[in-house]
Amino acid sequence: MNPYLLQKGLSKELDLFPHILEFGLKKTQTIRLASLPVEKSDSFSIYYIWEGRYDWNINDHPYILYPSDLAMILPGQPFGSPRGILDIGTYSWITLDVKETDKTFGPWSGFSPTESRSIQKILWLNSIPVAANMKETGKLFQQLAQELHLQEIGFQTRVHQLTDALLILTARQLIHQNHSQRDFSGSFMKLEQELRKNLSHQWAVEEMAALVGLGTTAFTEKVKSYTGFSPLNYLINIRISEAIKLLKQTETHLTDIALETGFYSSQHFSTTFKKLTGYTPSQFRKDNTDKS
Amino acid sequence: MNRQQDCILTIDLGTGAVRIFAFDLQGIFIGSMKGSYPTFHREPDYSEQDPEQIFITVLYVLKNFLNERIHPAGYQVTTICFSAAMHSVLPVDKKGNPLGNAITWSDNRGKQEARLLKGTPLGKIIYDATGTPIHPMSPLIKITWMKNKDKERFDRTARFLSLKSYIIQQLTGETIIDYSLASATGLFNIHSFQWEQAALDYAGITAGQLPDLVPVFYSTLRLRGEFQASLGLSGRTKIIAGASDGCLATLGAGVWGEGKATITVEQSGAVRVVGKEVLIDEQQRLFNYVLTKNYYVSGGPTNNGGVIFEWFTREFGSFRKAFDLEDSMEGLIQEASKIPAGSDGLLFLPYLLGERAPIWNANARGVFFGLNMQHRQQHFIRATIEGILYEIYSIGKTLEEHRAIHTLSINGSFTAYPFWAQLISDIFNKPVHVKNNSDSIGLGAFLVAATEMGMHSSLEEATREIDVPGMYKPDKRNHDVYMGLFRIFERLSSKLADDFEEIANWQSR
Repeated sequence: MNPYLLQKGLSKELDLFPHILEFGLKKTQTIRLASLPVEKSDSFSIYYIWEGRYDWNINDHPYILYPSDLAMILPGQPFGSPRGILDIGTYSWITLDVKETDKTFGPWSGFSPTESRSIQKILWLNSIPVAANMKETGKLFQQLAQELHLQEIGFQTRVHQLTDALLILTARQLIHQNHSQRDFSGSFMKLEQELRKNLSHQWAVEEMAALVGLGTTAFTEKVKSYTGFSPLNYLINIRISEAIKLLKQTETHLTDIALETGFYSSQHFSTTFKKLTGYTPSQFRKDNTDKS
Repeated sequence: MNRQQDCILTIDLGTGAVRIFAFDLQGIFIGSMKGSYPTFHREPDYSEQDPEQIFITVLYVLKNFLNERIHPAGYQVTTICFSAAMHSVLPVDKKGNPLGNAITWSDNRGKQEARLLKGTPLGKIIYDATGTPIHPMSPLIKITWMKNKDKERFDRTARFLSLKSYIIQQLTGETIIDYSLASATGLFNIHSFQWEQAALDYAGITAGQLPDLVPVFYSTLRLRGEFQASLGLSGRTKIIAGASDGCLATLGAGVWGEGKATITVEQSGAVRVVGKEVLIDEQQRLFNYVLTKNYYVSGGPTNNGGVIFEWFTREFGSFRKAFDLEDSMEGLIQEASKIPAGSDGLLFLPYLLGERAPIWNANARGVFFGLNMQHRQQHFIRATIEGILYEIYSIGKTLEEHRAIHTLSINGSFTAYPFWAQLISDIFNKPVHVKNNSDSIGLGAFLVAATEMGMHSSLEEATREIDVPGMYKPDKRNHDVYMGLFRIFERLSSKLADDFEEIANWQSR
């Protein structure tokens, strides 16, 4: 394998792919000082190890990577070698211009909006940024390199497809790594924490299902038998119970409570609250703060 | 609307879920619905629940149940009776609003407070007066912990409620606790039926900081107007205080009177007997809770019930379908049944979660003992189940030092497996009747309501109507095998105390 480096703006190969910031293969045969200091990364990258052994720090945690391992760096995460040097070996990487706030990955991606949101959630909520035994990822890197270098008929579509495939493979691996598929209560607990952390987000069932690594139908069935509620109704439980706390303990304006706990509007909040509790939010607040 | 259409609801606030049952006045089961809520573990020893989420879940399930099952069928709810898990503590401010989450029974943060009190003369006085073992589960210890370690919250607390008191307060506006649930707080004198001053002093609180004490039949509560309207219930619907889940499960299992005991195996487990007198155990291994002034429910709890078999299944079972624990457990049980009783001498001590009765050792840990080259994977499965049930048996044996037990009524999701039921019968060498646990709690709460409504002259009479299904008979030969191994089990459990402590310290370093 010969080393190469393609960079946006400098390499003609990337002209049709403005979302690919860098794509390269790096071979290191001698160690140089300060060749890989820990620095805050400003974009999203996936690394794949071909040869060697790498001591890396990702998001302030040390990892040792071996051949066929994958590492994922999110924007804003510190990344580098704890000793500041690039170890001997070979790796491929791709750096993409994607951010968590983006609604979709971009026009190049074939994902539906929900798929796109789910995959982003999985990548961004992930706690362990490395995965082992990712030979499939290596193959995708090789195919990408080939398409970009040879530019045969249809290569633009192929590059887009391969980039999507790379993201899918990474997301799936991270899900299986985080959820053993044996412990639903454990997985559900993790999901519940995510829902609470991002209560203002407009969660779709597909997104929730993706986070525990299940299809929508199986997920809905499982949640129903485990909690007695459909996923969305369970989410309403959490929204309303958080809203109750805010109503009782703070002076926060009703509209702000509504948006903070994930309702579309104060109208939507009031109707749901009244339907469930029999009180309007303002009646409820008055009843619970007037007592001495 | 005629009298046949009247019905009674029971609401059980369990550890992980609320379960609502409906019965007609003849005691015929109409239907049930559940809704679950999570337990949070912010720190290793912490177990907490969100009171508002529980409240909303109760309302939501109640509303759905009424709208889908009760109103359309033309039933009129005359009475609602409550039951709840024991030992929860919820501090509230002077407006009655929660100060953070509720602390639930499995919370262990008060380890040190419990150790300091246990074994002292004052500890003995408090145990004898309250019937609740000195243990981190006890609200006495939890409140003491808060006084020592969370002074700011302790000082702001106007009242220390139970989760059930909070839910009833939200629904009715009254702040009460029934004798039964109060008797599991470590703060209630089970002889005089008042708050115990020595315990209050130790916790640093006054009786006024606790809910008002009421009998389990207390029935003057009514739903707030808003809830009558939103739930479609009449203002005359009686709200009955009810009791603790443990006492009601015992009542609902029909174990009422001499010579009977009930065994529950859910995630945790318990063995209980009922009597007219407090059962005094010098070593303070047993609890004495009250249902009414005439009835004491005594027994011992284990941490390591079905949760241990679930752990084993998760780690070592084979999963054909994602997340299908049930299926995988059934597969393992089938494997276990191919191994002879006693697992060819492979013994398991199930103390993965530390243990309560009878050894009361939070540092206890799991042990496989007696392994040899002949033991195969299946032996581990069977030994795991046998170990869980030896532990249950050791509680039963402690109870038998005080009361004769001739028959057993067992309930809980794990006893629903015939293999487990037969094992219990063989180990105890007693006939065993099987009942469903959540059904038993619901039925127990129904009997309290029915007795309050004058349909029975006493709870004792009420239990006579419970039919006791499915009986397992003990196999004497298996029993002898188990007893040979149980002797070793019992010896190891106490002999390893020093090593348990050392390994527990090592693990938490």
